[in-house]
Amino acid sequence: MRRGAWCWLVFTSLVPAQNVTYDRLVHALSEQQNWLTYWGDYSAVRHRDLKQINTSNVKDLRVDWIYQTGQAGSFETVPLVVDGVMYLTGPNGYAYALDARSGRQLWLYKHAFPPGRKADGVNRGFAILGDRLFMVTPDANVIALDTRTGRLIWQTEMAPFNNGQYTATLAPIVIKDKVIVGISGAEFGIRGFIDAYDAATGKRDWRFWTVPAKGEPGGDTWLGDSWARGGGSTWMTGTYDPQLNTLYWGVGNPGPDLYGESRKGDNLYTCSLVAIDPDNGELKWHFQFSPHDTHDWDAAETPMLLDLNWKGRDRRLVVQANRNAFFYVLDRETGEFLMGKPFARQNWATELDAKGRPVLMNNQEPSPEGTKLCPGLAGAANWMAPSYNPDTKLFYFAVREQCDVYYTNPAVYIQGRPYWGSVSRGVTEEPEWGLLKALDPLTGESKWDFRYFHAPWAGTLSTAGGLIFAGDQDGYLMAFDAKTGKNLWRMNTGNPIINSPMTYMVHGRQYVTMPSGSAVLTFALPE
Amino acid sequence: MKLAGIAVLICCAAAAPEQTGQDLADGKATFRSNCAFCHGLVGGGGRGPALNLGRFLHGSADDDIKGVITRGVPGTTMPSFDFEKDELAHLIAYVRGLSGERNNFNSPQLRGDPVRGRNVYEHSGCAGCHRVGNEGSVFGPELTRIGAGRSIEYIRASIVDPSADIPEDYAGVTVVTREGKRITGVRINEDTFTVQLRDASQNFQMFRKDEVQQVIPEKKSLMPAYSSLSQDDLQNLLAYLDALRGGLNAGADVKKEKGIR
Repeated sequence: MRRGAWCWLVFTSLVPAQNVTYDRLVHALSEQQNWLTYWGDYSAVRHRDLKQINTSNVKDLRVDWIYQTGQAGSFETVPLVVDGVMYLTGPNGYAYALDARSGRQLWLYKHAFPPGRKADGVNRGFAILGDRLFMVTPDANVIALDTRTGRLIWQTEMAPFNNGQYTATLAPIVIKDKVIVGISGAEFGIRGFIDAYDAATGKRDWRFWTVPAKGEPGGDTWLGDSWARGGGSTWMTGTYDPQLNTLYWGVGNPGPDLYGESRKGDNLYTCSLVAIDPDNGELKWHFQFSPHDTHDWDAAETPMLLDLNWKGRDRRLVVQANRNAFFYVLDRETGEFLMGKPFARQNWATELDAKGRPVLMNNQEPSPEGTKLCPGLAGAANWMAPSYNPDTKLFYFAVREQCDVYYTNPAVYIQGRPYWGSVSRGVTEEPEWGLLKALDPLTGESKWDFRYFHAPWAGTLSTAGGLIFAGDQDGYLMAFDAKTGKNLWRMNTGNPIINSPMTYMVHGRQYVTMPSGSAVLTFALPE
Repeated sequence: MKLAGIAVLICCAAAAPEQTGQDLADGKATFRSNCAFCHGLVGGGGRGPALNLGRFLHGSADDDIKGVITRGVPGTTMPSFDFEKDELAHLIAYVRGLSGERNNFNSPQLRGDPVRGRNVYEHSGCAGCHRVGNEGSVFGPELTRIGAGRSIEYIRASIVDPSADIPEDYAGVTVVTREGKRITGVRINEDTFTVQLRDASQNFQMFRKDEVQQVIPEKKSLMPAYSSLSQDDLQNLLAYLDALRGGLNAGADVKKEKGIR
């Protein structure tokens, strides 16, 4: 009897083994209680058909549990929730599994950095397949962990760390049997890539270079050998259309960031969206938002996949609110440019031509004396996630209204050192501000705006409860009426929110979670 | 006496290593994109101290200047910078070159008398808003070390035209309550839903925006323009303010009790 009880205890204290098949990932939106990929599904709509928390009761939303890491560094991660277990990554190589109802810790993983390697930094999340979790580390490794224990299964170096030249921050995306990741470091003179690794072994399957070498297609868009340090990092997760078997990935800025003389040309495929065959890494098409960028306007913003009726015809679209202040609609089968409309103040392009290429204004280049330009270096939008509500048919995202003075200077390459070609400084004579914007993706017109006092770094979440959840730079987590933009609920979390909220359900109860600062804050209605 | 001490510092300053024209051009580029924002395009000062006076607040040896650049100045808005060795050497050489012929401390700008200037300060009501050491109000910026931290040109502009450059920490805001009462003060914090300010009586005033009529950012400085001061009074006041060079940690001396360990 005694032995029996002991065995029962051991059995039930194990984290249940997960079996998240590729088929479950493809149909992630049919598991509304779970959150199986970084974006919640492959298309990145970030909408959940959960309505227990809704416009009429959200005023009663309250903190249900808080998990505090006790570690330095801030969360920028979106947790996965699989059948009651929350998996999330933290900064500096930490990762956690928690009971999604109570916040109690099930296991903790701490990445072992080689002796003497000072590697720290944010991390944006896990991918899952079968009973394995995949994440990247600040020293540019991809690792696989056991969902049951957090034990390391395999580890593969993406690129040599080189004193911080190559780093990694993004959440991987799993497609079929492959773990697909990107790299950070375009501020340090890297040549960017997207990699696919075998989920079973960690062996690299393919690499897509985001900067073509001399002689390759697109290689003639780089002056001389500038392509070799051309940047083009891939620091945010792509999206995926299983029917077209196409992976969509936003590519970062060219390097040196603010000095373009040494890299004359369009600098493909920087500041572009690339459409890739996930089976072999081959390019299907590309669209460049900001040719020959000198303002650090990465195209790392979410490439959201929407199927909409475009001018009388059902089309598969990819939309992006770009850092350069334009909202783009492309055909995701062909890459055809369909629409581009400014959504924030900008004084760099007079218009986009019929193919979506910007027609530049005068005096928009950085200069030794400084050039004032909107948007600023951080962009009018950035990596924080937007969402799309199929009921209101609106696209909800955070807008940054902030301008900068851009300086330029020839850059000298030294391994592991910033390779920026000078700096930008905030404009001080006018205040910054931000917006939560509800935009009609078919027209690019705003339906409503809610103004924030400071420019935000937090994304949005949409629910069938008629709610948009969002955060601001002063630490407020907020809920809005998706139709009207009325602020229905808020809480000061005490730390700038640099993340995007998510929601899930366990045992019939809906939760909203926002890892922020060094705490995982989880909210629910009173029981 | 004080000026003599500074002159000694300059004489003792280490000679800069030989720099080429290209090095100085590199230093200039580094200066423009990293320093000019606060110290002015040619180092004349602004929100940061002037760097073209041939004297440096924290010591004038290359190592002193290097220390300020690489470590920043705690308690001020001067951040630390991470430059390559060569880049730093070129920058320091360029900054030294900014002084040119201006190492003359008997410049006409400072012809006033600091003792008389103190009288002007006291009789003009400056202490009603500003603090020197432990005297005066905390409503406006503290002036304990204003002479060390700001150029004469910047201080003069701040007196005669204070709205020309308003430090972010001292932006004014007026709250109009539902009853129509107007409360103006220095904005301590403002976010999407609330605002906290310090009024002229040095009290905190805290509001939720949905409970007031209006929150109006003040476009002008809360400091009145002292443009009617006589030239003599202005010169004397400037001389007084320029002589205010108190320590960064004034008031932080710990009085230790013997026998308690």
